[in-house]
Amino acid sequence: MKLKIKFDKANIAMSISAFAVCIVLVTVMFVQFRTVEQVNESDIENMREAELREQISTYKSRYEEVNTQLEETNQTISEYQARIESNQEASELLDEELKQSRLLLGKTDVVGEGVVVTLQDNDEYSIVASDLIDLINELRFAGAEAISINGIRIINMTEIADIYGYILVTPNQRLVSPYVVKAIGNQTYLTSTLCLKNTGFIDSYTNTGRTVSLEQQKNIEIPKYEWDIDANYMKEDAEQ
Amino acid sequence: MNKKQIAITLGIMCLILTMGTVVQVRTINSANQIVAQSFADNELRDQVLRWKERYDTTYANLQNAEKKLEEVRETASANTEGSEEKEAELKKNNMLLGLTNVTGEGVVVTLKDNDAVDSSKVLDLSNLLVHDGDLLGIVSELKNGGAEAISINDQRIVSTSSITCEGNVISINGEKVSSPFVIKAIGRPTMYSALVRPGGTIEYLNSRIIATISQEDNITINKYNGVISSKYMQYDE
Repeated sequence: MKLKIKFDKANIAMSISAFAVCIVLVTVMFVQFRTVEQVNESDIENMREAELREQISTYKSRYEEVNTQLEETNQTISEYQARIESNQEASELLDEELKQSRLLLGKTDVVGEGVVVTLQDNDEYSIVASDLIDLINELRFAGAEAISINGIRIINMTEIADIYGYILVTPNQRLVSPYVVKAIGNQTYLTSTLCLKNTGFIDSYTNTGRTVSLEQQKNIEIPKYEWDIDANYMKEDAEQ
Repeated sequence: MNKKQIAITLGIMCLILTMGTVVQVRTINSANQIVAQSFADNELRDQVLRWKERYDTTYANLQNAEKKLEEVRETASANTEGSEEKEAELKKNNMLLGLTNVTGEGVVVTLKDNDAVDSSKVLDLSNLLVHDGDLLGIVSELKNGGAEAISINDQRIVSTSSITCEGNVISINGEKVSSPFVIKAIGRPTMYSALVRPGGTIEYLNSRIIATISQEDNITINKYNGVISSKYMQYDE
């Protein structure tokens, strides 16, 4: 019986077709694998598009900033040149430039629109230095130009650290709750960045049990950094 | 019996073939989508490059203008009393703002995504990656240790800098940066000991990612390649 089946023509045809089915199956499997891979790829592709759009917008705004600065610099140059030609004193111009650099450095009292964020210790959660560092990073991301905590101006190299249960900022200023963080900048950008639903600073901090509130204000006053800012270790690089 | 078997086999084959065809059609469709998408992306890429170029040219012009400004400033105030001190203060302010290239002693910290560990043995892959929070932590440790100038992958940290994570990329000053991260800092040598102390930041980071630190005598940190703006703050008088 068995032998008869083995040499039956129909059976040979069947085993060939079974083989063919196997090949088709394997092919289908490969195709399917590739499909899965490609779908993933298109996901990344989608993200890339969003990233590209964001990059365009970033470069656009940076270009505009640099362009404005270029116009201003050229104007200052022509003002200086006018003074040189007419043999006049240029000390006011120099004073003006100095004033601007002090403004950017944080050595002048400033006023402007912005937001006031208040963080407070509660029964479950005490505010720590990293919370404030996080907030300052967010504020800067949203375009804050001047920031203070409890009346102390935060400059670029300000340290914020936890020491013996207190939060300390440079130079040796002890902070206690409530922490009132003032920031001057575009009110809309500041508010929308911090108040993003669920993922923004305010929501994510409130949802993890901290006491945080935000208030928009038109005339925020931020005091100057009262101490000297020194550079003992860095020198201007001569070969530029 | 044999005929029945053949009929069944044929039926199964037909089914499989149909399935194969359907799958293939779908594959081709999605492949086409990718092609179409990358065409659109290419246009966007062009735009990014165009804006970057415009920015770069304008920034180069600005640098030239600043050099010229320094010259005319010097000529104009050569005869004025007390102008030298003012010029010196202006220069110092610009250095503190991060608007000049600086050199000095300090530390170089390198953070890398951990690729030495077999990723199939780790529960949470994101633990092996460098996150924005790690960089923010290092920067704040460096500031606490007395840093005067800091840069990450040549992005100078200035008073308006932020370190954020968008999707799976980290951006600093609005520009994308990726692993390995080279963090340079000029300042008090105590920065080094603050970071390497037992239980300190470096040791903690090394439990997840690859962090190295070295002390160096001569570090050059480039200036901020943007503008620190003051559109919203005014002098309070």
